[in-house]
Amino acid sequence: MEISYENTKDCKVMTGKMALPNQYFAGRVGSKFIIALRDEHKILGVRCEKCNKVFVPPREYCEKCLSKLDESWVELSNEGVITNYTVVNYNDKHLPRRAPYILALVKVDGADTPFPHIVEGIDVEDVKVGMKVKAVFAEETTNTIRDLDHFEPL
Amino acid sequence: MAEYFGTAVEDIFNTMEERFIPEGTHGVDATIGYNISGEGGGNWKVTLKEGTLKVERLDAEVTGCAVTLNAEAETFVGVTLGKIDAGEAFSGGKIRVDGDITILVNVLPKAFRQFTPVIWARDILATVRERFRPEKAEGVNMKIGYDLSGEGGGQWTVVVKDQTCDLKEVLDDDCTVVMRMEAPVFVDLNQGKLDGATAFTSGKVKIDGDIGAAGQTASLFEKYVAEGAAEEKGEELISLKCVPSINQRYATGPAVGRWFDGLKEKKFYASKCPNCERTLVPPREICAECRVRCNEFVEVGPEGTVTLIDVVYYASPDPLTGKIRETPYTALFMVLDGASRDESFAHDLNPKDIDRIKPGMKVRPVWAEKRTGSYKDLLYFEIAD
Repeated sequence: MEISYENTKDCKVMTGKMALPNQYFAGRVGSKFIIALRDEHKILGVRCEKCNKVFVPPREYCEKCLSKLDESWVELSNEGVITNYTVVNYNDKHLPRRAPYILALVKVDGADTPFPHIVEGIDVEDVKVGMKVKAVFAEETTNTIRDLDHFEPL
Repeated sequence: MAEYFGTAVEDIFNTMEERFIPEGTHGVDATIGYNISGEGGGNWKVTLKEGTLKVERLDAEVTGCAVTLNAEAETFVGVTLGKIDAGEAFSGGKIRVDGDITILVNVLPKAFRQFTPVIWARDILATVRERFRPEKAEGVNMKIGYDLSGEGGGQWTVVVKDQTCDLKEVLDDDCTVVMRMEAPVFVDLNQGKLDGATAFTSGKVKIDGDIGAAGQTASLFEKYVAEGAAEEKGEELISLKCVPSINQRYATGPAVGRWFDGLKEKKFYASKCPNCERTLVPPREICAECRVRCNEFVEVGPEGTVTLIDVVYYASPDPLTGKIRETPYTALFMVLDGASRDESFAHDLNPKDIDRIKPGMKVRPVWAEKRTGSYKDLLYFEIAD
């Protein structure tokens, strides 16, 4: 038998589905962050005093100096600025919105690190870096980052 | 069997083994006698020695132990469950202790986990009316049937209508949805020990009727909390469970495609390297050692010789079906007849042969009745004798 890219005589495609039971533990710091979003509609970060940096989402250790940060909580603004963005142009069942939608990096006021989230209320052609946005919280909790439902332009 | 606070004296002794913490008895060498009087009582002798436990039921009063506890059955169960204050029972003379009381105070809490009463499906269902959330049931009109098999099982129908809820101890014919499972599975689900989606995808729960209605039931009721369980509230921690269903697409390429064609005819095809002459099972397009294309196919097997056996006891999902595999299962490595010595091939072993299988044994394939040229054509291997 001749094997070449043109030869597809014996080539088959098999399809199936895989179910993967998963468990994700948010950790103590991650839990506190999500609970604040859910119950108080507040965005919490942690400050590293040594590096003078505020991290959002909060993490237990500073990525630069490895100081423990789980006691240095700071409450941040629900408003921020888009530092970068992409437009998601395909649909898949695990994605949070139907395409096209904006996935932006949002740096909330008081934070030094941006985090990705959905931006709504604006046409995908009109989004710009530097645009001011504010948080809109979800009505139904999912105990995830999506308790902050999306950001929208100010 | 006499029960106090829903628990029999026997339950407490029968669960000692599973509640035992061997590490908690370091340096301990003690015997404890229990003379429990009244209905449902009895005499037990518990021996703790350096990480071992022996629980014996005696026919007569226990004597000669380092410490002996005497109490009425009701007092004993009440104190064990924390329903009766131990100090009060002791000072009020309801518990009499002979011997070294420090064993009861210092050793027992380290040697055993707290006794928790057995929860039955019946107990959980008995609380549906009080757990019902009428505000979530606006416009909901359905009958949820439970068909629970095994110990503590039975049939129930929960009727939700006009924002009211009723429970019947019979399975109605006109249920919107009927959920069938073993009673212990139902108990685990309600206690959060088992996730609903996992139980469903793994086949532990069978749903007849409206699956959407089955999903809706959770929101209609408050969560079940066992009587007296976990009243103290700790820090809230978030743990999420989900069972994503992932679409899979596998393109075989011409070499493995040939392998599947072979399975359809109950044959194993290997590709053969023109340079080193080794066989590749299943076939590959290129010999990874010589880096040349392998254009020749040879037939190997169908029998093989076992080289390695992996018995797996961990219940993982089968990637081909998404179902949790029955354990133990075996990954069997074998060299098919005529294949190169180092080219072992792995497949399943018939579970009935797990106890007998040894390296060096001859095995033969068992084929599916109806073969379509897919991985499903080859069921497993079994010992050939």
